[in-house]
Amino acid sequence: MFGLDYSWLADPAYQQWLLTGVVNTLKLAAISSGAAIVIGLFGALGLTLRIFWLDALIELFVEVFRNTPPLLQMLFAYFTLSTLGLRVTDPATGLSVPLLSAFACAATSLSLFGGALAIEAFRSGIETMPRSIIEAARSLGYGRWARFWWVEAPIATRICLPALTNILTNLFKTTSQASVITVPELMYYAGQIYNDTFRTLEVMILVLVIYVTLVSMLTFAMARLEAFMAFPGYGKGR
Amino acid sequence: MGLTLSYDDKKRAVLLLIAVGVVAWIAIDAAAGGSKYWARVLLRLPLLFTGSGSGWPIAGGFVLNILLSIAVMTLATALGTLIGIATLARLALLRVPSLLLMNFLRNSPWLVLLFAMLYILPFEVHVFGRVVAFPPFVKAVIGLALPTAANFSEVIRGAVQSIHSGQWEAARSLGYTTIQIYRHVIMPQAFRRMIPGWMNLYALVMIATALATVTGIQDVLTILNNLLAMESERVIVYFYLTVLFLFFAYCYPIAVLARRLERAVKGDNL
Repeated sequence: MFGLDYSWLADPAYQQWLLTGVVNTLKLAAISSGAAIVIGLFGALGLTLRIFWLDALIELFVEVFRNTPPLLQMLFAYFTLSTLGLRVTDPATGLSVPLLSAFACAATSLSLFGGALAIEAFRSGIETMPRSIIEAARSLGYGRWARFWWVEAPIATRICLPALTNILTNLFKTTSQASVITVPELMYYAGQIYNDTFRTLEVMILVLVIYVTLVSMLTFAMARLEAFMAFPGYGKGR
Repeated sequence: MGLTLSYDDKKRAVLLLIAVGVVAWIAIDAAAGGSKYWARVLLRLPLLFTGSGSGWPIAGGFVLNILLSIAVMTLATALGTLIGIATLARLALLRVPSLLLMNFLRNSPWLVLLFAMLYILPFEVHVFGRVVAFPPFVKAVIGLALPTAANFSEVIRGAVQSIHSGQWEAARSLGYTTIQIYRHVIMPQAFRRMIPGWMNLYALVMIATALATVTGIQDVLTILNNLLAMESERVIVYFYLTVLFLFFAYCYPIAVLARRLERAVKGDNL
């Protein structure tokens, strides 16, 4: 079809590579997404405390990671963190080796990048919380923590979900850049396969389809979650 | 009590203090032996900026990233407008395929799309007996413009749909046709709301131009990697910090301006 040759796909070795690549991509995405959400929660909660120096530090963190290329962040982590002192002595060989593997470097820098995006999203979610609801909760006699747990958090979660979907898909797509620092994920194995078979076009089309399928599954799941959690008056629950 | 600072003033003071601290740290580091590394960076700065050792002519570098981002944004704005209008069409034959295309482009990673374009686009095409070449720069422009266009069409969609339905009803009751409503009622209002999204997208494109290094053009990352091949391990840190700062210094003001506009637009609810 269209002169494309997919006969290499019958080779079990290449199938195994693709499978390993997908699994590693999923692992990297899962780890960095989880860490990004945790960073985002702590950052946004830190901002609500309104401590001016903490506020300044968080803003600095967000702006630095949002306004520089994630690819460059990853390269920086990979090439320079070991030079800056993040090294351990391997007890077996006595040699000084970098503390973080390529995978750990990618996961760390993606977590920080995603975390910066998440802080921003959660912050604007908390900001758009209707004042009247907080006042209503207060007039019903809710204390600070009860109000947070039973009123503010459930509403803020629902307000933030669409933005969170964007961040998670963005992060998933950015994991492909980890191939540049030799993390053996899908994009890396794609390179291996076309170096072997010289079928660049075919491999790239297949990989593109795999990524789009995975990301579409993620957006679909998040949309279902949004619909499931919706309650009247907010977002989809009209 | 004399000096009373507002919350924002205090925050700004802390940020200023951090900036001063960074400068001081650089000075201390330079005094402690870092100056010979900074000298290396300074020597190579024209190369990083313009791609040629003396700073002229422009053969690549960070300036090429800026040029690339402008070219990408121009193409993506035109393409995104077409897709965006098509996704708003009432004709399903136009709407459904364009929505599918938009979602496909939005869900594919920029790097993978860029790689795919590198191989899908031919080296050159023959149109009416003429040869049109596709150098890597053009491929990079097209590869980055596709996902950008999809994102921009989403910005257009969001802006048009954010206009209150009362505007439609009022215009329709006055006898405007659909085209006239778009032209005279919806677009003038939606346009204002698109600008912050468009600017945010531009900052995103500038950041994404770092990916263009895979096409082999002489952008700042390609030059950086070539340079680092002949530098010592220690000096690499200084080079990376410099290039990170270049991107930050270019993108941060755009992001701040976009946010300010966003706040200004938020006020006009209709």
